[in-house]
Amino acid sequence: MSTTSPPAVGGARTRTSPAPAASRSPVGAAGAWLVKNPLVVLLVVMVAGVQLATGSQLAWGNLRGVLLDAAVIAIVAAPVGMLIISGYIDLSVGSTLALGGVVAGKVVQSGANPAVAVLAAVAAGAAIGVVNAVLTTVFGLSSFIVTLGMLTAVRGVAQLVTPLPLSNFGDAFGFLGIGNVAGVPVAVLVAVAVLVVAAVFLTRTPAGRHVYAIGVNREAAFLSGVDVRRIPFLLFVAAGATAGLAGAITVARLNSAPASQLGLGFELSVLTAVLLGGIALTGGEGSMFGVLVGVLFMGLLRNGLTLLGVPTFWQNVASGVALVAAVGIAAATQLARHRLQARDARRLDDATTAG
Amino acid sequence: MTVSIRGLTKRYGATLALDDVDLDLAAGEVHALLGHNGAGKSTVIKCLGGGTSPTAGTLTVHGTEHRALDPRSSIAAGIAVIYQHLSLIDRLTVTENLFLGQESTTAGVFVRRAEQRARALELLDRVGLTVSPDTPVGELTIGQRQLVEIAKALGRDARLLVLDEPSAALSPVEARRLAGLVGQLKDDGIAILYVTHLLNEVLELADRTTVMRDGRVVWSSPMAGVTKQDLVTAVSGRASAGAAAPAPVTAGADPVLDVRDLRAPGLPGVSLQVRPGEVVGLYGLVGSGRSRLLETLFGRRRATGGTVHVDGVPVRVATPDDALRAGLALVPGDRLQQGLFGSLSSAENTVMRVMSLLARTGWRRRGAERQVFASAAGAFGLRPADPSVAVARLSGGNQQKVLIARWVNDRAGTRVLLLDDPTQGVDVGARAEIYQVVRAVAAEHGIGVLFASNDPDEVVALAHRCLVMRRGEVVDELDMGATTEQTLLDLIHRDLEHTP
Repeated sequence: MSTTSPPAVGGARTRTSPAPAASRSPVGAAGAWLVKNPLVVLLVVMVAGVQLATGSQLAWGNLRGVLLDAAVIAIVAAPVGMLIISGYIDLSVGSTLALGGVVAGKVVQSGANPAVAVLAAVAAGAAIGVVNAVLTTVFGLSSFIVTLGMLTAVRGVAQLVTPLPLSNFGDAFGFLGIGNVAGVPVAVLVAVAVLVVAAVFLTRTPAGRHVYAIGVNREAAFLSGVDVRRIPFLLFVAAGATAGLAGAITVARLNSAPASQLGLGFELSVLTAVLLGGIALTGGEGSMFGVLVGVLFMGLLRNGLTLLGVPTFWQNVASGVALVAAVGIAAATQLARHRLQARDARRLDDATTAG
Repeated sequence: MTVSIRGLTKRYGATLALDDVDLDLAAGEVHALLGHNGAGKSTVIKCLGGGTSPTAGTLTVHGTEHRALDPRSSIAAGIAVIYQHLSLIDRLTVTENLFLGQESTTAGVFVRRAEQRARALELLDRVGLTVSPDTPVGELTIGQRQLVEIAKALGRDARLLVLDEPSAALSPVEARRLAGLVGQLKDDGIAILYVTHLLNEVLELADRTTVMRDGRVVWSSPMAGVTKQDLVTAVSGRASAGAAAPAPVTAGADPVLDVRDLRAPGLPGVSLQVRPGEVVGLYGLVGSGRSRLLETLFGRRRATGGTVHVDGVPVRVATPDDALRAGLALVPGDRLQQGLFGSLSSAENTVMRVMSLLARTGWRRRGAERQVFASAAGAFGLRPADPSVAVARLSGGNQQKVLIARWVNDRAGTRVLLLDDPTQGVDVGARAEIYQVVRAVAAEHGIGVLFASNDPDEVVALAHRCLVMRRGEVVDELDMGATTEQTLLDLIHRDLEHTP
């Protein structure tokens, strides 16, 4: 666990509804933090349980595979999470991943430098992002409907680009998928970088805070002079670009690019991880730390079930139940939080209405 | 007694909306409920309609005592509330709306259309509405829809009819027809609670009147022998909240805001000036165009003509961002919908705009942000002054201070502060504090303040000068030196009587 949780991301954690009153004791503050992040507790309990039962989940060989899978999801979940915080959604990332993958594959097979192939994948994804962005932020169409349509349309485009599956791209390109730097898979390093950049952006720049402002109250943001179109526009482009990048990574790892199979259901994995991580579908709430926890939880849950010998079908059942349960737990802790806040508010009243 | 309310009390967080209210509503009687915005009238209505549960007190309906009502039990008890925002479904026909949720059916499945239609015709006839029952409600005028709502209430055998400012959106002809209907329903033995702020309606229709102010009943009497002057006195009441001699304005200074012939839909052409440090009130009833004028100045609505100068510099405003760059800032009337980021902290709400001005090479300077917040919180007496509290948890008055601090702080550079209904939903103690803050903003920063209000007390307490608005035009200008709330009330009601 300690190797999987980069301290930089944890440190730059977003605080959307900060713990009240500095006067609270450290124990109380820790309690309040856990109430806000119930999934962290579940994650620790789950990993400890699986580790005790099998003794193998925390072995590096196993963990490496889990992290590789999680990394591809995390790279896309970061911008998609930010889009949801700002009150939009992107369902098209699964097909955009496929398009990025086949574009990268085609460019590599034409004999170009692998770096060019990666850039081409990112550019293809960004182009899809621009289409989503224009339709939603400029023309004001529902992002749910636009990106649902794009999910189907872009899959078709990917299949048109490469009607026949491509494969065998060579070791240089394969490095992106399976290579290590300082013992850590390249994709994991990319994911860490994306999460850190996203977390720093969200917490340390005015534009990052505007993401929350737009998600909490778009009208108030507009009346505060916030550019309520530009920020979601750029986030759509970022979501497309990272999906393209994730496509290149996936193809490099598989060493093949089947246009009709790449990234099938990927958008739902991303959405599940983001929602598990406590980003509210209604916008305005959540953090990159939450996304990290959500992605790890999904990966480690599935891996734990495999290690425990649970059949695949049951793993699907468990993943679905986990999402619903996490939402239920989030609702319950939300209720607890509101009770705490109401109590605080009454204390504030007594202190203020006297004057 | 059809309905009798005893000791009704309602708290919203830090705000006491109703404080020990007693009210008796008798069959065959029109009971008028008068009071300014925020007096608690709408909270009484909500308690009756089941929209909210009282904190304390009882509602006795036909001898059955309730501690609280929900919408279902309210209807079952024979209470029908006609809200200002009507609750009809536009795409359904008149008949379908009349029987929505109470369809008469065969075998519980099939609607008996012919029977419903016949009954609909009866109900429409009773309220004097001559449209076909098959018309979609969306095609009716506001006045006709209101009659459909009343017909719906009659169809449910309502014994108490609550009308919330029913004439506000009506044409004079429709208003006359409504007045006739109210008299007829009264004769049929229905109890009517008529909520309004128009004194002439009260004099004409009411058998008994109760005046509310700051969540309390301050005056209640049968109408026999009561004059308009008595009502004006009751409504304006005691010395206004936080009244203090406004600071004098630097005479002869060049105007900080100079508006000439500003035109927009509903604004045929407004000219006005505000000098530095001057507080100007825009006084008018709902629909007089005061909010529209502020929103047009701020770029929320597009102006079609005219000029605006800030500090002598011509400005073109197409969006709120343009207005803010020019030094024009608006604190909107609907704080929750248009102003606050509820789940974000007070500090973030305060610095959301100036964050970018404070930032260096794109990075937030959190130390500087904290300083801006701390100094604004100190200057305005924000409570709690804790920067991390979610702003939704503050009382209305403190939320308003946060919104003012968003525009008036060490970095904002605001020259003209526009305030729409500045004490909406702010309780009486905090109201005086808001006035203090606004006066300080004008006096200490030399900012020109233009605020809209329909509360004459507020205009007297706050303004140096008052512009009276009616139908999108400034029809009168008063220097507030010698003006009292009675003058204003007389003025606005005289205006109304002259309206055809």
